[in-house]
Amino acid sequence: MAQTANILGPARNRVDGRAKVTGAAKYSVEFTPPKCAYAWPVESNIAKGKIAAVDAKEAQAAPGVLAIISHLNAPKPKEPAAKKERNSGHGIRNEERLPFGDDEVHYAGQYVALVVAQTIEQARYAAGLVRVTFTPEEPLLTMKAAEDKAKKPETNHDEHVQLKKGDVDATLTDSGLTKIEQTYITPTETHNPIEMSGTIAAWDGDKLTLWDATQFVKGVQSIVSRAWNLPTENVRVICPFVGGAFGCKGAVWPHVLAASMAAKAAGVPVKFHVRRQDMFTSTGHRTPTEQTIALAATRDGKLRAMRHVTNTLTSTVGEFTESCGARSTGVMYDSPAIRVEETVFPVNVSTPTFMRAPGECPGTYALECAMDELAVALKMDPVQLRLANHADNHPIKNVPFSAKHLRECYQVGAEKFGWAKRNAQPRSMRDGGLLVGWGMATKTYPAHKMNAAAKVILRADGSATVQCATHDLGTGAYTAFTQISSEQLGIPFEKVTFELGKSDFPFGPVAGGSNSTATVGTALHEVAGLLHNALAQLAVKDSKSPLYNEKADDITMVEPGRIGLKNAHAKSDSYIDILRRAGRDSIEVQSELKEPEENKKQSFQSFGADFVEVKIDPLLPRVQVTRVVSVINCGRVVTFKPARNQIIGGVNMGIGMALMEATEYDPQTGLPVIRNLADYHVVTNADAPVIDVTFVGEPDFAFNPIGCRGIGEIGITGAAAAVANAVYHATGKRVRDLPITPDKLLDIA
Amino acid sequence: MPVRLKINGKDISADVDTRTTLLDLLRERLQLTGSKKGCDHGQCGACTVLVNGRRINSCLSLAVVHDGEEITTIEGLANGEQLHPMQAAFVEHDGFQCGYCTPGQICSAVACVKEGHAKSDDEIREWMSGNLCRCGAYPNIVDAIKDAVAKNA
Ligand code: FES
Ligand code: FES
Repeated sequence: MAQTANILGPARNRVDGRAKVTGAAKYSVEFTPPKCAYAWPVESNIAKGKIAAVDAKEAQAAPGVLAIISHLNAPKPKEPAAKKERNSGHGIRNEERLPFGDDEVHYAGQYVALVVAQTIEQARYAAGLVRVTFTPEEPLLTMKAAEDKAKKPETNHDEHVQLKKGDVDATLTDSGLTKIEQTYITPTETHNPIEMSGTIAAWDGDKLTLWDATQFVKGVQSIVSRAWNLPTENVRVICPFVGGAFGCKGAVWPHVLAASMAAKAAGVPVKFHVRRQDMFTSTGHRTPTEQTIALAATRDGKLRAMRHVTNTLTSTVGEFTESCGARSTGVMYDSPAIRVEETVFPVNVSTPTFMRAPGECPGTYALECAMDELAVALKMDPVQLRLANHADNHPIKNVPFSAKHLRECYQVGAEKFGWAKRNAQPRSMRDGGLLVGWGMATKTYPAHKMNAAAKVILRADGSATVQCATHDLGTGAYTAFTQISSEQLGIPFEKVTFELGKSDFPFGPVAGGSNSTATVGTALHEVAGLLHNALAQLAVKDSKSPLYNEKADDITMVEPGRIGLKNAHAKSDSYIDILRRAGRDSIEVQSELKEPEENKKQSFQSFGADFVEVKIDPLLPRVQVTRVVSVINCGRVVTFKPARNQIIGGVNMGIGMALMEATEYDPQTGLPVIRNLADYHVVTNADAPVIDVTFVGEPDFAFNPIGCRGIGEIGITGAAAAVANAVYHATGKRVRDLPITPDKLLDIA
Repeated sequence: MPVRLKINGKDISADVDTRTTLLDLLRERLQLTGSKKGCDHGQCGACTVLVNGRRINSCLSLAVVHDGEEITTIEGLANGEQLHPMQAAFVEHDGFQCGYCTPGQICSAVACVKEGHAKSDDEIREWMSGNLCRCGAYPNIVDAIKDAVAKNA
């Protein structure tokens, strides 16, 4: 079965492709202004305690040093008033503490001083001369140690994370049902985009320009302007390209304000390019999770009860909840009884944040492994088990899912993969001396929509510039929004220039939660309507126009480049003619920011299925993923090439999660012992399999006028479970703590 | 310390700190920001450039040791407006997402082909594994390299 034709946009090359392959694309820390100096941090090597003394004398005298700031002398911004609304333009902070704010140390790796010098070499050298002494205190580092401080949050922003439906406990004791109960562990994972975070701060009187690697230019602007007590527009944030983010550039982390403080102290622009090792401590990570799942089902595989209990960590200076249960068990299968619990333990480790599919990713790992274990217990095919529990309605909200095509995902995926040839018996399939395992899992991610506005400048030569303060993290946003603008405005693709990544533009929300295409796409739909109306206003007053004296409200776009009467398309006029006759070089319209309307009668959620093959040498049990088939139901796909690439990337990151990614901390000191890319293993080219991506379904127009539901995050969900299930199938051994490194499989020979 | 280099065919002389890496010289002094810093530790390959035709991690190499050598960066691959076949293949096969690893991937790929290490998918995957792509665009990178090899042949 082929791709469902009506959902696929054109397979264009990216509009920013040329800039990216020639080195012309400029990332934030590459906008070096004249006289720019460099910052190098000094950080705490204890997890909790106080700074006893900062001796910067020798460092201060080192060549090229312009300033050294610490809590003793740093210019003091004020705490921006806390604003936590999810959809807001107020920005996001996970570490809710000002850098260099006081002498307290809350985690290892916390910045305690910052050296500014004329060159990188001078700053790095002088930072080594700053002597900071600490008075250590006993840190809380584990769930057990933090037991007394544990919290069970009712909500995570506006989302309920403790769910209760039916009588789970009673059902779980029913002896007529088949049950499984297991605990799944995921370690701390770190985003590690190849572009490290960074900020250049340049003051000009009371105006501040920040070139910042961020997923949220307007959020940075809001937080930094409030911190310095400046009118919002005095702070400009610029970020035309982001070198990957995966969540770690969504919040404002300490280096952003620190750069602005250092630039103030030094009196010159300052570049603070976060070091790779600090990407493990000062820009967030995915919290480790401990998830216990109990499932009970009838002999024919109908789920009767599901319980998903999650424990995670947060820091002592910021709240973060990784809602594993609510975002997996809470949305996935049809079960009369569901219970989801979340407990968060605050420890002296830097603050976690959202990492690609926060909640859904570890949640689907645990749930989809548990479903595999249930299938084994029931002697049922894993795909059949899922089909038997397909949810037409949202299991908690009990409203129908819009444009859900998960059954088709299973069917198409199984067919393409050759699932019918699978022998269910573990260790039964071989390729020469290698064990072969086939596993599968369901994928899911909610459709999010926030609010955005856009501006269009249409010129008399027929070209247009469209602007929104949104972001391209590698997602293909430049291309997708050029495409949507072209369709909605009725202007050829080649004549549209889409601009993003500047706080000067109309509001765009954080590029997170896979919301951007739906959100900005809706804004582009609105602004196109405004443009057509503005052209109609000119035409109806123009005696030379075929639309003269018609009502502007009766006029709409009738074909690309032309507006005309809604019920008599032949009566029309071209954009270019209207502008020329009006003697206008251009016309400009801008949409207003509005809260998105919430449709409570339906539930909007994307789904998919992964089918994975692994091969393992029993004598040296390194797992190689050899083949993946991924089928996705995410509404309309605006631009095929970047969308397919997003799924490939998500699956590859899921493979990394399953097999190699882990940030380990010293259990005594709380210092991360894994702080570089040689120790933190990510998938390399040699680890990456062939990934066959198919999109199925229909445009979800109930969700937004573009019909898309977002694509950035669903790729990673389920992928780790599919790999883990394939490893079980290959070896007969169920490893329930990630990553599945060779040492955990040494007994399979 | 004075150093003379030929970068993308241009003679450059600069007075550099002996501690300055080739990467920082390119990015911070010469504004050749196409070469990327992804770790500064020789672990990611984002800073890959060609020195006398060989691929190296420019973050792990001091500028002064390259006195008199020929450096090609991503900015030097295209022939005017005409993309190098490897660059064109990366665009065509969507061999990137964020683009931050891309200059390193492309320089590395050009050398990989010259070394004779692009004769099969597996060989490409192995010999390109020094260039991390956290976006995970690997299958498209492999397709791009194969295509560039085929078109050059
Ligand atoms: S920056 Fe040179 S290898 Fe990573
Ligand atoms: S394209 Fe983003 S790291 Fe490779």
